[in-house]
Amino acid sequence: MAADLGEIERMIEAALPGASVEVVDETGTGDHLRATVTAPQFEDLTRIAQHRLVKAAVSERFDDGTIHALSVKTTVP
Amino acid sequence: MADAELKQKVEELIAANPVLLFMKGTPEAPRCGFSMRVVQVLDSIDVEYGAIDVLPALQPLREVTSEISDWQTFPQLYVNGELLGGADIVEEMFDSGELAEALGVEQPEAAPAAASSAPAANATPAQSPPLQIE
Repeated sequence: MAADLGEIERMIEAALPGASVEVVDETGTGDHLRATVTAPQFEDLTRIAQHRLVKAAVSERFDDGTIHALSVKTTVP
Repeated sequence: MADAELKQKVEELIAANPVLLFMKGTPEAPRCGFSMRVVQVLDSIDVEYGAIDVLPALQPLREVTSEISDWQTFPQLYVNGELLGGADIVEEMFDSGELAEALGVEQPEAAPAAASSAPAANATPAQSPPLQIE
């Protein structure tokens, strides 16, 4: 089952209000995604902590098997 | 709930190895592209690191790292007892020079892609600490 990229974006935006989020399908199979996220909440966090926030936002889609891999690129605005 | 004995063993290994990579496969024979990318970065930097193959106990180790670092996917690179990140973060920090800084080494001049085309020549032999998993 392919992920709904728009839904994934909305999940991240909901978890990180004010964030700018772009999710793309990296492999064309709909389960290996790449998220580019710029969020004010990342300020002063280590990269791993920033990634944790993004992954936590979409954990439901990992748990139900929709997503197998999510590459994350984070930046502070 | 992670296995307490395994968790303690993992915590001891993280404490005993300033640079420790949990990966799928071994540095010589990575069994996952993400693990291979981290090995290539580490090999292009002159740093000694320990490597642990998670495949023999993937699920138990996921539970352990989940509790220790709130992170379930491998590879995972630990530096001075803290989880630095997986392949994305390690590569990003390598490119920006932050990784060399975190490891206390000089940033190599060659990019990892260039370094990876000639791997064996001066690669630092990785030490794999013994991790017995029943």
